[in-house]
Amino acid sequence: MFPSWPMRYRQTPGSSKSGGESTDSGSALNTISSKTENQFEPDSPISKKASSSYHQAFDQQNLQQQQQQQEMASDPSRTGTSLNQSAPIVKPLQEKKRASTSEKQLDAKTLRRLAQNREAAKKSRLRKKAYVQQLESSRIKLTQLEQELQRARSQGLLLGSSGGGVGNISSGAVICDMEYARWLEDDERHMSELRTGLHSNLSDTDLRLMVNTYLSHYDEIFRLKGMAAKFDVFHLLTGMWTSPAERCFLWMGGFRPSELIKILISQLDPLTEQQLMGICSLQHSSQQAEEALSQGLEQLQQSLIDTVAGGPAIDGMQQMAIALSKLANLEGFVRQADNLRQQTLHQLPRILTVRQAARCFLVIGEYYGRLRALSSLWASRPRGRLMSDEQPCQTTTELQMVQPSQSHFAHF
Amino acid sequence: MGMGMGSDPMERLVKLASESAVVIFSVSSCCMCHAVKRLFCGMGVNPAVYELDQDPRGKELERALMRLLGNSQAVPVVFIGGKLIGSMDRVMASHINGTLVPLLKEAGALWL
Repeated sequence: MFPSWPMRYRQTPGSSKSGGESTDSGSALNTISSKTENQFEPDSPISKKASSSYHQAFDQQNLQQQQQQQEMASDPSRTGTSLNQSAPIVKPLQEKKRASTSEKQLDAKTLRRLAQNREAAKKSRLRKKAYVQQLESSRIKLTQLEQELQRARSQGLLLGSSGGGVGNISSGAVICDMEYARWLEDDERHMSELRTGLHSNLSDTDLRLMVNTYLSHYDEIFRLKGMAAKFDVFHLLTGMWTSPAERCFLWMGGFRPSELIKILISQLDPLTEQQLMGICSLQHSSQQAEEALSQGLEQLQQSLIDTVAGGPAIDGMQQMAIALSKLANLEGFVRQADNLRQQTLHQLPRILTVRQAARCFLVIGEYYGRLRALSSLWASRPRGRLMSDEQPCQTTTELQMVQPSQSHFAHF
Repeated sequence: MGMGMGSDPMERLVKLASESAVVIFSVSSCCMCHAVKRLFCGMGVNPAVYELDQDPRGKELERALMRLLGNSQAVPVVFIGGKLIGSMDRVMASHINGTLVPLLKEAGALWL
């Protein structure tokens, strides 16, 4: 389609690149810009080429037009090829015009040139888009690598400063994440034990033992979070310790107990009247407690805003000191929220049968496991075909474009 | 607000705590105190609130509360029916395990 049309304009004397058969999206822009680069400039990034070289191309084409007419005569085979393949773009009427006076020839050429420029501009926009998307994904990978690096550093695997360096992650946060990762591994183990226990029809006594073990396992994470709150409360509150999908639905540094109970109600076996009342009452109490804590936190935020936004009456240092003492209260709220979560989990086996309680914990564990998996999948999803790593530079792009490459642009 | 006559702060605490069905000792600038007040109001309870920072002998009471609870955080502290319930964590725990509402009803702070 676009193919060798550009080639007409590609012929400049003394060009070393005439061999490059850019038949496609390498396009006029590519070929011309690469020509330009060969002759005048060192390598520059794709996006720069895309925008600035379009202007160069326009100028180039003006220069080249005169040269074209000479070369058309001297290189009939090429001309023939070009003419054949330019058909879809050029209107048939203008083909006839070419036979007449040179003035009308110019019009036809102008029209073709304009169409070609439009095409080139479009392609350069698309390339720029692809490049930006590639940059975005690289940025995400870079952040992940930084975090891994920090973790490795804190484990003493690498030399160098830990905490506050790359990625601004505190050492308290690093330790918190490490401990959480360990807890997640334990969680997997406990869950598979519970699953086996449920399916193998253990006695209620044995199952209760498992449930209690699982509760202790949860007590452990709340203990960890309590310590983390002392070292880096923002790490907890912003949810940086969890996966992005969990972070999205975060309430005060963790899960919202009433939401969790809603999930459980929908997943449990038919409940007795008493159990249903117990669960609904639990959900209701939890909602009230959550509401109270949220309002308390809101007041803290307002108070902090007032301090930080404070007028000239307060001097800078004093202002900061007051703000710091207010921030200290954040830890208290995260702790109360975790306390609420812990109490809610402990209440479940009191209202339900031991089998139902075991099922509850499985449901919870699986739910968060899926959210974590969702986060990973989301982060690694493909974002457009042009982002393949096989096309890092212009030349390679051109060479690869020899094949039918309409599909590359098909879905834009 | 009952003004003590120079009595021992602990005695005064107990006296104040028994004057209403639900008593909250608070400090007006404390956000956790705000949260506990919101909790009771949200349940339809009307607690008696003593802002210790607005009491001339508030400091004494704060110290007495710290001794009573055995921790460094004097407020918020909740009494129901004259009995000590505790700080925010105890209040929430008792709400979640279902013991708070019966206590409130027993003290006459809540009716069905």
